[in-house]
Amino acid sequence: MATTVYLSNPALTINSVDLTDQATSATLTFAYDQLETTAFGQTARSYGASSVTSLQNNTFEVELYQSYAASETEASIYSLVGIQTTITISPTAAGLATPSTTAPKYTLTGAYLSSHTPISASLGELSTVTLTFTGGTLTKAVA
Amino acid sequence: MATYIVTSDRLAGFKRGDEIQASDIDGNIEHLLEAGHISPQASKKSAKTKDTDTAKE
Repeated sequence: MATTVYLSNPALTINSVDLTDQATSATLTFAYDQLETTAFGQTARSYGASSVTSLQNNTFEVELYQSYAASETEASIYSLVGIQTTITISPTAAGLATPSTTAPKYTLTGAYLSSHTPISASLGELSTVTLTFTGGTLTKAVA
Repeated sequence: MATYIVTSDRLAGFKRGDEIQASDIDGNIEHLLEAGHISPQASKKSAKTKDTDTAKE
């Protein structure tokens, strides 16, 4: 019977900083630009080829609880705006240190953070920040 | 190569107090310094010997 891994408790680092215990959601999207290769004579649209010919176009979105304490969310994120950094994420904490086929480690190198909301406050609610990293090269490690 | 001391509990794979070098991590060193996760290891001065033998013939 086929099984599906439900990504409910991943571990992640941003710029080598482990912010797992501040994260409430994380979405890593692995994508290649879709290039049309349809030509005269074909009867259906076609995209790509038998080997990859387009550019990776990855995104990583994460929601973190905001914290202004030393070495916490704000201190770790603020200086990353406008630069490239490296993100790692795995379905389990163990996978970050020792990747395996059931707990692969994904590394997004050169991901760009264009914006951050240092203040995002609502009365009576815990403050959170949502960060979207774009670009970068994704690799997957299983050992 | 510069050596740094880990000063927070959040640096992946390291404990507070560990000594690391830039090549040990994927992160940007400048931003880890700014964020307070590491600090430069103060260079230790080499111990110099001083000849205090003042014995006279």
